[in-house]
Order: sequence, then C-alpha cells, then structure tokens
Amino acid sequence: MSRVGIIGIGHGVFGRRSDATVQELAFESFADAVRDAGIERKDLDASVIGSVPEYHKQRSLAGVVQEYLGLVPKPVWLTEVACASGSAAIRTAWMAIKAGVHDMVAVIGCQKMTELSTPEILALMGRVGEVQWESIFGTTFPAYYALFAQRHMHEFGTTREQLFEVAIKNHFYGAMNPAALFRKAITMEKACASEMVSDPLQVYDCCANADGAACIILASEERAKALSDKTVWLDGMGCATASMSVLRRPQLTGLPSAEAAANEAYKMAGVDASAVKVADVHDCFTIAEIMAYEDLGFCKKGEGGKYIQERQAYIGGKTAVNVDGGLKAKGHPIGATGVSMTVEIVKQLRGEAGKRQVPGADVGLTHNVGGIGQYCFVQVLRRD
Amino acid sequence: MDLGIKGKSAIVTGGSRGIGAAIAVGLAREGCNVAVNFRSHDDEAREVVGQIEALGCKGLAVKADVASHNDAQAMVETVVKTFGGLDIMVCNAGINWDGVIWKMTEEQWDRVINVNLKGYFNYNKAAAIVFKDQRGGKIVNISSINGLRGKFGQVNYAASKGGEIAMSKSLARELGKFNVNVNVVAPGMVMTEMARNIPPEFLNKAVDETVLGRIATAEECADVVVYLCSERARHITGEVIRVDGGQYI
Amino acid sequence: MFKWFGKVNYSPYTKVGEFADFLKAGHLMGSRCKQCGAQSFPPRADCDQCMSGDFEWVEISGKGILHTHTKIVAAPTGFEELVPYTIGVVDLEEGGRALAWFGESIAEKEVKIGMAIQLVPQIFEELEEIKVYYSLEKPGTTWAKT
Repeated sequence: MSRVGIIGIGHGVFGRRSDATVQELAFESFADAVRDAGIERKDLDASVIGSVPEYHKQRSLAGVVQEYLGLVPKPVWLTEVACASGSAAIRTAWMAIKAGVHDMVAVIGCQKMTELSTPEILALMGRVGEVQWESIFGTTFPAYYALFAQRHMHEFGTTREQLFEVAIKNHFYGAMNPAALFRKAITMEKACASEMVSDPLQVYDCCANADGAACIILASEERAKALSDKTVWLDGMGCATASMSVLRRPQLTGLPSAEAAANEAYKMAGVDASAVKVADVHDCFTIAEIMAYEDLGFCKKGEGGKYIQERQAYIGGKTAVNVDGGLKAKGHPIGATGVSMTVEIVKQLRGEAGKRQVPGADVGLTHNVGGIGQYCFVQVLRRD
Repeated sequence: MDLGIKGKSAIVTGGSRGIGAAIAVGLAREGCNVAVNFRSHDDEAREVVGQIEALGCKGLAVKADVASHNDAQAMVETVVKTFGGLDIMVCNAGINWDGVIWKMTEEQWDRVINVNLKGYFNYNKAAAIVFKDQRGGKIVNISSINGLRGKFGQVNYAASKGGEIAMSKSLARELGKFNVNVNVVAPGMVMTEMARNIPPEFLNKAVDETVLGRIATAEECADVVVYLCSERARHITGEVIRVDGGQYI
Repeated sequence: MFKWFGKVNYSPYTKVGEFADFLKAGHLMGSRCKQCGAQSFPPRADCDQCMSGDFEWVEISGKGILHTHTKIVAAPTGFEELVPYTIGVVDLEEGGRALAWFGESIAEKEVKIGMAIQLVPQIFEELEEIKVYYSLEKPGTTWAKT
C-alpha cells in the first residue's frame, strides 16, 4: 500500500492574537507551509480545516478560511472533534490521498478562543462532558481531569510534585520555542503557590486557552518523492473513541481511546513503543501527560509519575515528550493543536529542531485527544 | 366526603375559645390530634382538650404567648415530641384594640401588631421549618374581611389582618415546592366571646351588611378551615376564602 | 419536567424527562429495558444492549461507593454563587454510576475514595423556581429530613 508523506509545514505564534481574525491566523502558517513545500497553491487538490466552531462569531468557518487562503474553488470542509479537530483533519486528508481521490492536500488547524470570556469558555468546555447528567452539576474541563488525577493518585501513589514536574519540563522547553505562548521556565515553588482550580489541579497544572494556527501539506508517495527530499511519512494512523460520559468509562486512570489508538498506529507502522524517540502528547493538564506515558506504553501502568521524576521524558531519556513546550507552554488553540504537534515531530525527524533537537530521531509520535478522552488520534511518523 | 386527615397532628393558636376552639374540635372530629395554646385562660384550654380527648384523639394545652418567638418554637417542638409529628398549623389567635389614629398609643399599635401579625410569623416560621423538611403540611391563617377592607378606628387591626393575607401569599410561594399549602380564611362578624362585648347597634349593622341576614357561628368558620386543612383541598394554595355571609362582596 | 433537573439545565427535552418528576417526589429512578431486562442508571430510553426503545422505570437504592472526587474552585457560568463545591463519581450498587455534588452530611475532610455513599434526591430550597437534583450523603440520610 502506498505511503502518505508530509512535505511542508508552517506554524504561527500562539497566544492572545487580538490582532488577527481566524482566517488571517490560518494564512500565516499556510503561506509558510506552501513555501516550505516548494509548491504553488494551484498544486493543491483540496484542503481540510480542523477547528471548533463554537468559539468563533464566524459561522461555517471552513469556507471563509479557505477563501482567504485563495483556494476557491477547491473542495474544503471542517472536521470537529473538540481538541482533536486538527488530527481529524489530518486523518481525513490522509484517507483521501490513500484512497487515491486526491494527491496533495493542505491541512490547516486554526482556532480563536479569546473571542469569549473565561467563564464562558469554562462553561462551554464543561459541556464537553455529558450535558444531560453531568454538566448540570457545574462540571468544568479541569474538574474532569481532576477526577482522573484524584483516582490516579489514590491507586498508584502519584504525587502533587510529580504532576508539577511535567509542567516544569514543558515550560523549560517552551522557553526555547519562539512560537510558544509562555517562554519562561517555572520553578516548583511557583507552581505549588499557584491558585487552586479544581482539587488537586492548580493553575500551573492547566494549559492556557490561546489563539493560533498551524499547517501541513500532505502528498501521495509519488508526488512526495518527486517534490521533496525531506519527506516525513505518516506510517501509523490510529483512531479510537471512548464514552462521552465518565459514568460509562471502564476506568478513570487512563484514556481507553488513547491505548486503542496507539496500538492501532504501532501495528500499522510495524513498531512498538520503544521505537519512538520523540513524542508530542496531549498535556491539556499535567495528569494527562502522565496518563499518556502509560497509555502509549512508554512506561508501565501506574508508573507515569516515576517516568517524569526519572527525567525519562527529557531529551536524553527513554522517549522525549513535548520538547516543544507541549500544550502547557505553547497554549492550546484547540483546533490547531493536532497540527501543531505534527509540525513539531516533522521538524524533529528532519533534524530542524535546533536547541530542542532529539538526537537521532527517526520515529516520532503524536497523541491528540478530544475533550476528556472521547476521541483520540495517534500518529506514528517516520523519516527514512 | 372523607377529608383524609385521620391521625394527623395539628396546632391551633388561640384554640381555647371562640373560632379557635371550634377549629380544634372540628379537626378532632376528623381524627386529628390537636394542641392549643393559652396565655391565661387555662380552664377553657383544658375544657377544649377534654372535648378533643372525648372524640378519641390526643389533646394538649400549652402555655405560650403567641407574640413570643421562642414560645412558638418551643411549642412546636413540644407538640412534635408529644404527638410524634406536626401536619397542620392554624394561626387564629388575635386581638383588637380599636381607636382613632390620633389617639392611638404606641402600645395600642405594637400590641395588636405583635399578637396578630408577629404571632402568625412566629408560628408560621416554626411550622415551616418542620413542614419543609418533611415535604408536606398545611397552614391556615385566620384573617378577617377587615384585612380586605378598612374599618373606622382600626388602623392597627387592619394593618395586622391585611398583613396576614399578604404574608400568607408570600409563604405559599416559598413552601409550594415542599408540598405545603398555605391559605387564609377571612371571616366577617362571628358570634363569639369577643363579639358579645359589641353594642347591639353595631351587631345589627353587621347583620344588615350580610346578604344571608345573619352573622356566622364559630362552627361555620371552623368547617371551612378544616376543609382547607384536608386532602380534599390539596390543590388550593395562596387563596383567601371569606366566610362572611356576603358581608363584604 | 426535565428542565427542573439541575441548577442550569441544558437538555430540557428528553425521552426520560419523567426522571425529574420522580426526583421531586423523592425517588431515584433508573430504567429497565422491557425487552431484554438490561438496567441503566442514569436512565436511558433506548436500550444499549438490544436497541429496543421500550423501557420502564425502576427505583434504585442510591447506595454506592465513591470512585473519585474533586473540589471545583473556578466556576463555569451559572454556578458562580455556588463555588467552591465538591463533586464525586459514585459506583452504584445496582450498577451504573452517578456524578453529583456532596451534600451537607459529609464534611470536606471526610471525603475519601472508597467511602460508602447514599444518593439523596434534593430540592433547591431558596429558589422560587422548582429545581431538583441529587446529592451525595452519608448512608442512612433520607430525602424527608424528619
């Protein structure tokens, strides 16, 4: 079966972008990706937009973004699965190319979140759980992950400090990433002193809402080989879901969707967890990254706290995780995140990550979760 | 008509005489245990208790000044303990102390407001606490047509009787969700002890005002109160029913 | 009416709307499929096992074990006056789970994963509108408090 490769990448600055509309944000990274790929816009067959529409005043986002990018009359549509919308867009483009329908597709993950106030965002995000039986009790997105954290700490002895170690690492690397929202390292003291959001998660356990966009250009094996000598291949694509409601999950210490998606991706790529040198995982909260180490098989179930404590997630450890700063330091423009993760791993596998380069990285992984684990997309990328 | 209140427990303030006594006995006839309070007329209170017990129900006379917030709370607690619960609260104790406003003393005003209006607040509050927690109960507050209209020389009485009506409506809203009905009975002139002291020409004036050509007996008022305390009236709340023979239409 | 359920209700129209009427009268109800007998809490009209849409109401005990919990300090819109509040997820004796607030009978320091819980129907007392919910209480706590 023929492979699908990434031939161009672009990534905008994440942050409070009150200077731009969502289509203007999308344009920045799209233009970079087109130039990076060395193609012209007319070479593209279609585009797919990953974004969560409820945060924008603009209705039906895909059309207005694609128009601004100058891609009319090519096909376009939106994919939405909460915070995994970017990965869903990538998967859609991948499927189209694999099926032979298109040869080259642009995927743009773009999001403005700051058009809403913080309580509005909290209420909206809290409704990403089960609205009929859970949201009525005033659940919030951090509260759901806090429920996971409490149980994880109870079952495995994971500590408050181990959670903060994740944030400390991500800010350490974020400080070296010019596209990140937060570019300063943090200390354990500062983290411990931060305000409580939902016990045990404090402000420093939580990623920040942000505006931003990222873009990748996907191509069929034939086109990629003709156009680029630094193609990164999407060799393993896993996708799975878990129940929307926490009331119907088999366990609350990991994401069943992540485990299933990872297994599918590893199988397709013909590797196991130990082959992965560098990964970008969905650290919407520190506990999410710890659960990801376990769900992805970087360590045994329950040993996620140990993994970070032993610095295995740093460059030089078993598998470096989120060395672009993760959602924690970059910020989390939800529709853009999946594409942002992919851009970072492509950079790593190309050897273009500068100070944050993981030496000898040939196999990388992205893990993008939607909501509280309802949707998970795992990609295994490879540089030949 | 089976009123469905057999075995229920009730308090009737001012239940030792007049309308109150008639209500107490009327409830006992339907099978209720009834407690009455007295301030000084303990003989009459004991007589009413005797009538209640003769009907096969439990009776209790408690010394309590309705104007005292603590007395009311204590009485409710005593009744709950003695009867094993409380289901019905009838506030009926009231006085009048008439006079034109320019001669009305502070004491005249305060006393009538405290006994009538504050007294109802004291007992309604104590009962509401019990009824809300047990998700059920009936409150009937006895007002007067002189709370709907204003009679000469009664600014204090009118204020208290009018206040009892508005208060009951407000209370009906607060307690509805707990399955508690709150209603008002507004009698016109009633043939009681209190009425016997009224000069004949005023009594006749009242009779002339009615369309039935007579003033009410205590039992005729009590019958309506007992009905409002029953299961048959369970969908009536926030209502004011005049029992005045058409004295004020 | 299902719109009574919760401080802020986002889904007033549902096939299992009667749930709120039962709750107001003090009963916790789950659903049972008339075709295959599968039970569910929270109730659902359409059977997850056999896909039949024919269900009946069955009262549950509300007894369970606390699976996890968290105290929410940053509130979403509509819950600002209630914050902070603690929510818990309870594994129910008859199967299924419930997510709800802790009630008055359990102090903050008593909250512990694994503790025995009783789900109790509740009415929002100081609101004029009728609003109902259920809370997590100590075993033995009842809806009628006397």
